[in-house]
Amino acid sequence: MKVNQFRYVLEESLTTMNRRRGANLISTVIMGLSLLILGVFLLITINVSAVIGKASEELRVYVYLKDGVDSPTQKEIHYRLLALSGVDEVVFVSREEALVSFRKSLGRNKDMLEAVAGNPLPDAYRVKVKPEDIRTDFLEQMARQVEAWPGVEEVRYGQQWLERGEKLVKGFYVTDLIIGAIIFLSVIFVIANTVRLTVITRQKTIEVAKLVGATNAYIQIPFLIEGAVQGTIASLLAVGLLAVIFTFAKRYLPGILFLEASGIAVFVVFCALLGALGSLGAMRRFLKI
Amino acid sequence: MVQDQRIIVGVYHLSKSFGRHFSLQDINLQVANGEFVFLVGPSGAGKSTLLRMIYMDDVPTSGQVVVGPHVSTRMKRGTIPELRRKIGIVFQDFRLLEDQTVFENVALALKVTGVGMGEVKRQVTEILMRVGLYHKRYDFPAELSGGEQQRIAIARAVANRPSILLADEPTGNLDPVVTKSILELLFKINAGGTAVLMATHDLDLVKSFGQRILYLEHGRIAKDSDMIYVGDLRERLSGSKVSEEAERLTDHDIEGEEGGDGR
Repeated sequence: MKVNQFRYVLEESLTTMNRRRGANLISTVIMGLSLLILGVFLLITINVSAVIGKASEELRVYVYLKDGVDSPTQKEIHYRLLALSGVDEVVFVSREEALVSFRKSLGRNKDMLEAVAGNPLPDAYRVKVKPEDIRTDFLEQMARQVEAWPGVEEVRYGQQWLERGEKLVKGFYVTDLIIGAIIFLSVIFVIANTVRLTVITRQKTIEVAKLVGATNAYIQIPFLIEGAVQGTIASLLAVGLLAVIFTFAKRYLPGILFLEASGIAVFVVFCALLGALGSLGAMRRFLKI
Repeated sequence: MVQDQRIIVGVYHLSKSFGRHFSLQDINLQVANGEFVFLVGPSGAGKSTLLRMIYMDDVPTSGQVVVGPHVSTRMKRGTIPELRRKIGIVFQDFRLLEDQTVFENVALALKVTGVGMGEVKRQVTEILMRVGLYHKRYDFPAELSGGEQQRIAIARAVANRPSILLADEPTGNLDPVVTKSILELLFKINAGGTAVLMATHDLDLVKSFGQRILYLEHGRIAKDSDMIYVGDLRERLSGSKVSEEAERLTDHDIEGEEGGDGR
């Protein structure tokens, strides 16, 4: 395509968009609102997974030792734990320390301990696992491995809690995907409908342009540009509204996170492409070019 | 198929059917460079269909169309714009863009080819002068009379200096006086070297001009009259503003016919 042709195409796009700004505005707003729903869910997902991620980092694996394990065995357990992949830090917690902290955690109910003779708690190693390895499958495998070692009584790491957290995050992601797909379709539908109207109003222009020898690119580019501009404006609208919602939410939930700048950029580019492709697809269908 | 350089449009054994119904059957015709041909036939004879095959808006069921270097059976979609720039097309209903000015309507044909804006302005001005409507360049089609609209449509059709102008009932919506002026304009364009193929149902209108007439009936060419010369063009158009060019061309054509150009 020659430079001049491109210039004419751009002029044509701007003129058409300007002429049809009413209809375009309506469809852009509808698109923006659809994208906003997606945005809200993305925001919730980001925050829930951030909270769960943070909580996971606090997770410790407790390796309880058998009663009366001799000190070489105990040392060996210590070294072997340190040698395990994914292990960040290993701290020995003696049964006395454990009793003190247990007592503290019981608070007013510490009298309950009086009913028990002596110290019922075992010695233990408190293991800190690298955050990226805090996953049910990894920890379960590690626990099974360590439990088989001589001198180890039991390994615990709050399985149920972790599993629940993981399920929650997964659930959010799946929901996001489903909602994303629905919104994707509805946005395509909205664009397709707008383009259909544009095509109908411009059918004669297109027909005449073809008669005088316009290339398909010459005819299609205005639609592409129109779709991309709509997608961009709609996504910015969605991000703007999301920011407003976020500001209100922050009053009640201080510390919640907003989309990162890079995330917003990806979102906007994605919506621009969505608009352009939706527009192009719809036009091809209606025009049979 | 390679055809004689002097032939701008060649149609060979062309048939077109829509379902079981044959709209066109075994059509053969050739239009030479600079020739003026009337395609005459009643409504439904297949005139428009034949023209559409020539500007390749539709493909023949069998047979082929050759326009310059373009052959319908070997045509790629991507080259259709190239073909269209060599063919000017005019319709009964003008097909002007209502939301664009006269100037913009004509300019579109040049813009799609990527000509610079300065050149577009220069050429549109020149063409509008030629069709006598430069003073209406800022008007919208709705503000013009039917005849004026058709002049603009013709201006747009010839903007790219096509080798052939196809006109599908260009005078169908116009009164006799305007019809005559449109015909004069077509003759004038033809005099500039552009071949013209004009479809019309009105034999009485065209039989007096002494041009070649093709009769299309029931989808077949019933008669290819190289020459039906009734009366003198100057006589027919006496009192009207027939251009000298048109007269010269008609004379030239007649001489050519008399000399027998071997068609």
